[in-house]
Amino acid sequence: MKVPFPLLEVEELRVSFFTPDLVVPAVEGVTFSIARGQTLALVGESGSGKSVTAYSILRLIQPPGRMTGGRILLRSARVGDIDIAKLEDDSDRLFEVRGGLISMIFQEPMTALSPVHTIGSQIAEAILLHRPIGKTVARELTLEMLDKVGIAPATRCYEQYPHELSGGMRQRVVIAMALVCRPELLIADEPTTALDVTIQAQILGLIKTLQREIGCSVLLITHDFGVVAQMADEVAVMQRGKIVERGEVRAVLKNPQHAYTRALLDALSSRRHPA
Amino acid sequence: MNEPGAIPAAAPLLSVRGLCKHFPVLSRGFRRPSSEWVKAVDNVNFDIAQGETLGLVGESGCGKTTTARCALRAIDPTAGEVFFRLPDGRVVDLARLSAGELKPVRRHVQMIFQDPVSSLNPRMTVRDIVGEPLVIHGLARGDELETRVAEVLARVGLKPEHRTRYPHAFSGGQRQRIGIARAIIMRPSLIVCDEATSALDVSVQAQVLDLLKELQREFRLTYLFVAHNLDVVRNFCDRVAVMRKGRIVELAPTPQIFAAPQHAYTRILLSAVPSPDPDVKMNFNVGEELAKLDAAE
Repeated sequence: MKVPFPLLEVEELRVSFFTPDLVVPAVEGVTFSIARGQTLALVGESGSGKSVTAYSILRLIQPPGRMTGGRILLRSARVGDIDIAKLEDDSDRLFEVRGGLISMIFQEPMTALSPVHTIGSQIAEAILLHRPIGKTVARELTLEMLDKVGIAPATRCYEQYPHELSGGMRQRVVIAMALVCRPELLIADEPTTALDVTIQAQILGLIKTLQREIGCSVLLITHDFGVVAQMADEVAVMQRGKIVERGEVRAVLKNPQHAYTRALLDALSSRRHPA
Repeated sequence: MNEPGAIPAAAPLLSVRGLCKHFPVLSRGFRRPSSEWVKAVDNVNFDIAQGETLGLVGESGCGKTTTARCALRAIDPTAGEVFFRLPDGRVVDLARLSAGELKPVRRHVQMIFQDPVSSLNPRMTVRDIVGEPLVIHGLARGDELETRVAEVLARVGLKPEHRTRYPHAFSGGQRQRIGIARAIIMRPSLIVCDEATSALDVSVQAQVLDLLKELQREFRLTYLFVAHNLDVVRNFCDRVAVMRKGRIVELAPTPQIFAAPQHAYTRILLSAVPSPDPDVKMNFNVGEELAKLDAAE
């Protein structure tokens, strides 16, 4: 699937987990690309390799896991083409990519939040790490971002700790932190799976609005075809470490070609017994 | 009595009347005097007929789990009655029974939990987990216990050799089957499923729901099905009660809830569900609509 103006091109990505007894392949030759400003949904069941794929893009695979092959080409408008797969583990470039050019939000917001620092200081830290500006400006930018993600009053939240917020509010904070450096790509790993439908709708709406405003691309990891249909332009279906079907969302959901995609869609109860 | 959503015509298996559960909000200080109360469950009424599945849906914090727990007296309700019809036809008020009176009744009411990890003791084998209810109630032991455990495991789709294994050796779907086996081994008449499939992948979820349906037909089970996933409820329940802030705002047959929701809250809840059909747009604006609803109350 070649897209006209790709921001990210992943080619033949391979990741395996090495134990003393055996090698478990998690991602086996995955190829996809994401166009600028577009949303690609990576969908599949637990263990299909969708999260491992996402983590590889930020080089977050930890031993015993290892990337064993492939290319991850980021065609950045700011710094030019980078093959993330080839970067050294402690290189400045990789540091710039993580959080600067590509940000990530997780299913459980507390994975990304420190329990012992205030919300404000954590967001401001993200700015100070990536941009040559002073603390006062960072504070202003942070307050502006908190306001954008719908947290009011922002000044109060700045001084609060994560445990004082609800799950939905924490996810808003994580989104603020991820987007404050205006990344070119946002990776969202099951960002609303732990939330109620009404909160989910608000968070998804927020991601959509901010994506338009910043102009970033989104890689959305999910197992929910409803979220895919409402959020994504393109979809790639993963099964056992491989992409079995990909294409434009409407085409895939309305007319799935692969048996596994059909099976997943048929498992949705609304489709099993249409009212 | 023929009004949809009203009390089923036949004598109900479970009849909940004026159920309340209030929790104290403790103040700071040594004695922590409580001046305020959270009304987690506030005057809830519903009936479940024999063989029926009643869905209890709502967002986290709406009181659906607390309602279910009060209904089977896992926790003591603050007020209200919970009439339960025993297999011999006697009707007891679960809310008022003493601990001693409650124990023989408990075998008829079982529960399946959400988390397939924390609801199974990691130090017990599958045989001990599934057989424990029979041991506690003194209903079987020795060879008979062994046989009944094997039978019930086979019934939920597990193998006899699984008996000697520990929960960690099983996948999420299989663990949930162990939880189901533990519930049905007592041949209960009522099972409370508290988010029983929420932690599972869609394809596994569909298999577990199919199993629950089969078991319902086979053993004439009645389910109180607590869930936040409206998609699951739509397919699985005969009637649905929508809860918000400790109250049931709407109770109606499932097709009616989905096709013609009466309460504004039900409509907002349904509009927030992302449809897998790209042509059916979901409502991203629920935050404002809920705020309006709050203001109107």
